[in-house]
Amino acid sequence: MNFRAIFSILGFLVGASGAAMLLGIPFSLYYGDNDVVPILLSSGISIIFGFGLWLTLREANQELGVREGFIIATSGWIAISLFGTLPYLLSGSIPSFTNAFFETISGFTTTGASILTDVEKLPHGVLFWRSMTHWIGGMGIIVLSLAILPLLGVAGMQLYKAEAAGPTKDKLAPRIAETARLLWGVYILLTFSEVILLLFGGMSLFDALCHSFGTVATGGFSTKNMSIAFYNSPFIDYVIGTFMFLSAVNFSLHFVALKGDLLNYFRNSEFKFYLILVVSSIAFVTVINLITQHSYSLLESFRYSFFNVISISSCTGFATSDFALWAPAVQFVLLILMLIGGCAGSTSGAIKNVRIFLLFRNMIGEIRRLIHPKAIISIRFNNRTVEPEILSMIASFFVLYITTFAVSALILVVSGVDIISAMSAVASCMGNVGPGLNTVGPMANYFHFPLLGKWVLAADMLLGRLELFTIIVIFTKSFWRV
Amino acid sequence: MDLKAVIAILGLLIIFIGAAMLIAIPFSLYYSDGALFSILISSVISLTAGAIIWFVFKRYLNDLKTREGFAIVTFGWLTMSLFGSLPFIISGTIPSVTDAIFETVSGFTTTGASILSNIEAMPKGLLLWRSMTQWIGGMGIIVLSLAILPILGVGGMQLFKAESPGPTIDKLKPRIGETAKVLWQVYILFSAVLTILLLVGGMNFFDAITHTFTTMATGGFSTQNASVAHFKSPFIDIVITVFMFAAGVNFALHYRALKGDVKSFFRSSEFIFYASITAIATIFTSVILMLHGNHTSFPEALRYSSFQIVSILTTTGFVTADYEIWPAAIQFMLFLLMFNGGCAGSTGGGIKNMRILILLRNGAAELRKLIHPKAIVPVRFNAKAVPPEIISHILAFFVLFISTFVFATLIMTALGLDIVTAMGSVIASLSNIGPGLGGVGPMDNYSHVPLLGKWVLCSCMIIGRLELFTVLVIFTRVFWKV
Repeated sequence: MNFRAIFSILGFLVGASGAAMLLGIPFSLYYGDNDVVPILLSSGISIIFGFGLWLTLREANQELGVREGFIIATSGWIAISLFGTLPYLLSGSIPSFTNAFFETISGFTTTGASILTDVEKLPHGVLFWRSMTHWIGGMGIIVLSLAILPLLGVAGMQLYKAEAAGPTKDKLAPRIAETARLLWGVYILLTFSEVILLLFGGMSLFDALCHSFGTVATGGFSTKNMSIAFYNSPFIDYVIGTFMFLSAVNFSLHFVALKGDLLNYFRNSEFKFYLILVVSSIAFVTVINLITQHSYSLLESFRYSFFNVISISSCTGFATSDFALWAPAVQFVLLILMLIGGCAGSTSGAIKNVRIFLLFRNMIGEIRRLIHPKAIISIRFNNRTVEPEILSMIASFFVLYITTFAVSALILVVSGVDIISAMSAVASCMGNVGPGLNTVGPMANYFHFPLLGKWVLAADMLLGRLELFTIIVIFTKSFWRV
Repeated sequence: MDLKAVIAILGLLIIFIGAAMLIAIPFSLYYSDGALFSILISSVISLTAGAIIWFVFKRYLNDLKTREGFAIVTFGWLTMSLFGSLPFIISGTIPSVTDAIFETVSGFTTTGASILSNIEAMPKGLLLWRSMTQWIGGMGIIVLSLAILPILGVGGMQLFKAESPGPTIDKLKPRIGETAKVLWQVYILFSAVLTILLLVGGMNFFDAITHTFTTMATGGFSTQNASVAHFKSPFIDIVITVFMFAAGVNFALHYRALKGDVKSFFRSSEFIFYASITAIATIFTSVILMLHGNHTSFPEALRYSSFQIVSILTTTGFVTADYEIWPAAIQFMLFLLMFNGGCAGSTGGGIKNMRILILLRNGAAELRKLIHPKAIVPVRFNAKAVPPEIISHILAFFVLFISTFVFATLIMTALGLDIVTAMGSVIASLSNIGPGLGGVGPMDNYSHVPLLGKWVLCSCMIIGRLELFTVLVIFTRVFWKV
């Protein structure tokens, strides 16, 4: 294991996120908040420590193998989350370390689960940093899922080896850098367009930036206690709804579309599956809401269902209505959408549509095999046959996901949380969604959870974000054997 | 598809059901419960209908193949349930046809979910028939899982092809006949021993035999409103606990043990796994019950928790304590155990320990493959490597089980049930347990479930009992193609 190279990269990540903290300062000054000094201090600590480490170890041998890849992906997220707590702690906005860490890792994993009871009370510089963690996390995820995980061979992401933009060399570094450059271009373009539209819809620049960060990263932190419901504007609802949907789509599809091939979306099996899932869920929820929520007109029912279904299925977690009060059937649909999530190669989380799609295809294949035991039945994805090893890996991912879900929910229930809150909190955090149901609904928060529960959920956010295997593999004996 | 041969076999089954009803008559006479006439009529109707069908179609009977096997199993359970409900309908004790069929399906699938709110008010003859449906169902399941499904190749049961007693010829009839004879001897022997022990424990003959029927079948119908709690006897609790546990074990293992090879239990990976889960869950429950002050003496906590854990894990569904007033942690663990179920080749339902074990071992193998992509990592079961096709099929089974659960729960919530009740009722039906959680807990019944919901649950019971694929395969186009 090349620890020197690992630490040098971690140092770089910490230093870079420290530099990003400075971006909140203009807003602090503009709004006359008193958080300039704490932010400067946090940024200084991170930059000195991070870049210091990087500069010292930079000369070391930079050969990175698969194992180093696993370690960097996992410890990178933890390191920036540790240093990312500094602005909250030093400014006194979140005095407890557990809560600050929960909030930061929720930011970097683009979850959006919050322990803050009054968001609007926070100084603007800190709030900006809070949304910024989403945006940085989102950048990391795109590269992770389209460049790093395919090379590491995690959970069927090999499917995207050939598809991702960028060169297909087998060494990690050049490929990652090239993919990152191309996809970050798309990411920044999406963010920029949304900021303009939100400004047009009447938001201040500060709110427009923060909400765009939260949307494109499918994060879900808002600067308002009532989330998007605060604005009560159909225009803003539809803009954010559309961008949440787009952010949950594979970014390499956007890349190809921007190059002029708009129809490529409809040649992609996963996109079609996701579109059908979202459209039918919106239709179902609209109808049930129309029947059960008597105050809604058809248009209102559509508007609220459209927004909240997309918010959950894209793993964002913004809310325009307290869906924890909607009918049980709707809540159950939302719970399932939390487990399914968006598309692979997007900033969204959870199991992902490609896997669900392939699991279904494989199931149908097995039924056919029962009748014709000798027939060779191949499973296809985007018109290519999927190898049995990849299917087996995806199925194991599914089993592991459900197992982690069950074990985490059990721990939460043991520590005193009720069953529905526990199940939805775990589904929400593993899927990097944010809000759950019952006591952690969209208008509530995680402040009241027991200490143990917060740490379990923080671990779930990271496990879900790194597609489980990336982390769990580090805890196996064979990983450490040379 | 040789439909006429299938119908001929169904005729035989109906005759068998009609004959079995006659066994209830002595009890009806002894207790002069007024149901004598209804039972007699039901029996005559079944015998006549069965005989007519048999004589018309028997000449079409020839060698049965895989497809006919699927059809006989699925339609067999349906026909038995239809004719089996006659005594309830004709006597007017269950006036609604839906309810009568629900109760009978719940019987023949050894589920034990009941729509009766006052069981003790039922005529004794009908109560005996009600318990007997479970015993007959149990007989069917042992043969199904150890003789029929391995040949049909359903749900990974091929693993037991070589293991079950009887000749290993590929034609269905002779093999099934031989296996059935051997295993039913074990089943009947255990039933006799249990009846004697329950008589010793102070039950009257009627209660002893009905509880024996439903214990050995892991069914769970009781003749008392308070279930086994009614008898308030530690001896009876322990005896039933032991026999429920035994009924949840592969009957081929019992057969071998009776032939002198007692150690065969400890050579079975599945048995070891099942026994460990039982032990861990029991200790966990006892400790939580002590901590929460539900019990003050540890032996007492152990008595109630072991009974309830074994009852749920083996998918029996007897109760000696209202587990809904137990801490939420235990309820959630019971909910998870409901998915797990008993061993393959037993009368227990659920996903089954064999599959869970193989899924977990496959997950571990995938982790090792991640580090050594070129290594060949076999998944072992009973010290033999499991072929990849079987693993793939078991993975598909798991996916199908979870999706059926999700889909059925969605329908139940859409019918207006709350999420906990919906999830509880569906898993209690799909795993053939009986009592669930929420509104269908151990002290409630299913009479308040909406009409459509009862039919959904009936389907779940049959689909779950017949290991999903057996039923679903019939709905594919390929199946009906020549």
